[in-house]
Amino acid sequence: MATERLNILPVPTFASLGVNWAERSVEMYETETIALNAGDEQTVIRYADADTYPFRNLYISLGAGAKMKLVQVFDRAARCVSRLNVSLDESAELELVQVYIGGGDTVSEIVARLDGAGSRFKAVIGCALDGDDSLDIDLIAEHRGRKSLSEINAASVLSGSSNKIFKGTIDFKNGSSGAKGSEHENALLLGNRVRNRTVPVILCDEENVEGNHGATIGRLDEKHIFYMRSRGMSEDKIYELMARSKLMQAIGRVGDREVKARIYNSLGWGDTDE
Amino acid sequence: MKEKTKVGDIDRSLYDFRYEEDERDFFDSGITPGIIGEISDEKNDPDWMREFRLRSLEIYNRTPMVKWGASIEGLDIDNIVTYIRPKTRMNTDWDNVPENIKETFERLGIPKAERESLAGVGAQYDSELVYHNVRKEVAQSGVVYTDLESAMHDPRYAGIIRSHFMKLVPPTDHKFAALHGAVWSGGSFVYVPKNVHLDIPLQSYFRLNAKGAGQFEHTLIILEENSYLHFIEGCSAPKYYEAGLHAGCVELFVGEGASLRYSTIENWSKNMYNLNTKRALVQKNGRIEWVSGSFGSHVSYLYPMSILNGEGASAEFTGITFAGEGQDLDTGAKIVHNAPNTSSYMNTKSISKSGGRSTFRSAVVVSENAAGAKSSVNCESLMLDNISRSDTVPVIDVKTDNCDVGHEAKIGRISDEAVFYLTSRGLSEEDARAMIVRGFADNVSKELPLEYAVEMNNLIGLEMHGSVG
Repeated sequence: MATERLNILPVPTFASLGVNWAERSVEMYETETIALNAGDEQTVIRYADADTYPFRNLYISLGAGAKMKLVQVFDRAARCVSRLNVSLDESAELELVQVYIGGGDTVSEIVARLDGAGSRFKAVIGCALDGDDSLDIDLIAEHRGRKSLSEINAASVLSGSSNKIFKGTIDFKNGSSGAKGSEHENALLLGNRVRNRTVPVILCDEENVEGNHGATIGRLDEKHIFYMRSRGMSEDKIYELMARSKLMQAIGRVGDREVKARIYNSLGWGDTDE
Repeated sequence: MKEKTKVGDIDRSLYDFRYEEDERDFFDSGITPGIIGEISDEKNDPDWMREFRLRSLEIYNRTPMVKWGASIEGLDIDNIVTYIRPKTRMNTDWDNVPENIKETFERLGIPKAERESLAGVGAQYDSELVYHNVRKEVAQSGVVYTDLESAMHDPRYAGIIRSHFMKLVPPTDHKFAALHGAVWSGGSFVYVPKNVHLDIPLQSYFRLNAKGAGQFEHTLIILEENSYLHFIEGCSAPKYYEAGLHAGCVELFVGEGASLRYSTIENWSKNMYNLNTKRALVQKNGRIEWVSGSFGSHVSYLYPMSILNGEGASAEFTGITFAGEGQDLDTGAKIVHNAPNTSSYMNTKSISKSGGRSTFRSAVVVSENAAGAKSSVNCESLMLDNISRSDTVPVIDVKTDNCDVGHEAKIGRISDEAVFYLTSRGLSEEDARAMIVRGFADNVSKELPLEYAVEMNNLIGLEMHGSVG
């Protein structure tokens, strides 16, 4: 099995932080290609569980005005490498919903090329990690088209001695005049042995753009806990509710009821989020 | 005549004067055991320092170049003169400083600033300090402010120097830390005793006049319990076609309850590679404040690091970077929370224009034992044209749940709406843009110690009024 460098940060930084790349042994990739013609619309769901082949490439190409909603669920307690490569033509739109449950040892790379003018990329990501789970996500939104738009929202809940890296890059290439990109990550930490690394990168080679990113990392605010406890809620219940609310940002966008129910079951929530 | 307005490049005319050097004073270029030995002979190094330099050289030779950051391909260490023999001994009276050196510092406004608003001044010209003085009342309070070599040879301080020198930034830290350990020369030693508050700042100014040379000064500051100091560091060089190198090192030890404000105005010429390392170790309830203005140099790598090692320690970093034509300025900060209830705040602004490239690079690390840590990072970048570049590469590494870490960053250009609003109030478009840029930099630039050095008005770099070509 060959060792491969994955999730390479577009602009490397201090080596001691261990975020410049992930190195994994990888066998041959299983590759899938989906292309939507101009004006087409489609929802695609890919649910990776223990039986799914662990090394997967997914290529998506969206023609002018095409719209896709892609739901990817990673529900594996084992090694997994996922590479998603997307190109969006003029006014094409991709909504990417990713849910990571556990993760075992998951490396996920997403490159969205907003080639066309007015193309849009929206990513909503939810991660629930526990035990020794390890998750390394590298998401790159490359703005090439004029007035292209990207929006990245990632929420995660870490407990046990889990370990997560989220690298989110908004890359404004020269010529992407009028483009806008935003990225926000929220990480709720529920244990003193977790490790969360966040790398929100903005690369800007174009003047007329707007980029912003924000990150909030830590446990719940003491004032919020006090308020809810004063309303009769136990601390465990408060954290459970907050963890659910973070994950529901992504799960709520899954759409398909069966897939949702499967996610709830995997998370130990029963058949519904109620 | 009506004055047109633009956002100009930094006016460097103040710094681009120079005097010819006697090249017989230059050591051979490059870095070899022989040259290191000559530097040790010249400085009459104690045995431990001779060994330290040679050990650093070995580390330098086996350490690879960094694989990230701005390109330093144009820098050939074999062509850099690492030591220039001084024309004068260190003086405590400007009248004893050779005329051309004195004239250099006069033009930079240092003696005037000393007379008006400083508690002490150190002035380094090429490889060695040429002037060092501290006000009598400050010295009487027990504050030590001298050059590092003198302190190293003074029995009262030799032990302190040996126990602190390159302990925060060991030569193994990176290639240029090792280079510094091998060839360091000049710099300042400051010691502030327990409970002493210096109400007015000390300032060291580093001037590299020689072409094709390097400057490797070492600044070591120790603040004892509950003391306070504001230290200002300035640096500049005239422009040459040959590459120059600045690989200084700053080590700051902030004791319990002590507070240190370290302000730097860096305005090296555009042929300089500024590969500087700065680090502070802060004890219980201590505080480090960095104020950093990066305006000069061809390439910069500069990330002051604060290690919050005692409970309740805090750090604040305020920085502004202006990258103009031919500049690639890679700046930022690192903060390590290594004790409970530590806090940090980082606020930076960067401006890119005329093809300049600025990179904000940071790291906030919250370790397992930093329960209750709080950190906030805010960085904003402004692109003033379409041929420049601005990157933001922050990393947040959290290893405990009991913390509160926030990060915000923005990048963009001057808002059309804001320009429209101001023009609707009667301003010309150019004046409106200039006002917005001034406002963008204001909350950082107002922290710069403008009143203490005459040069700094020119360094801010937001020259709003001038002729449009």
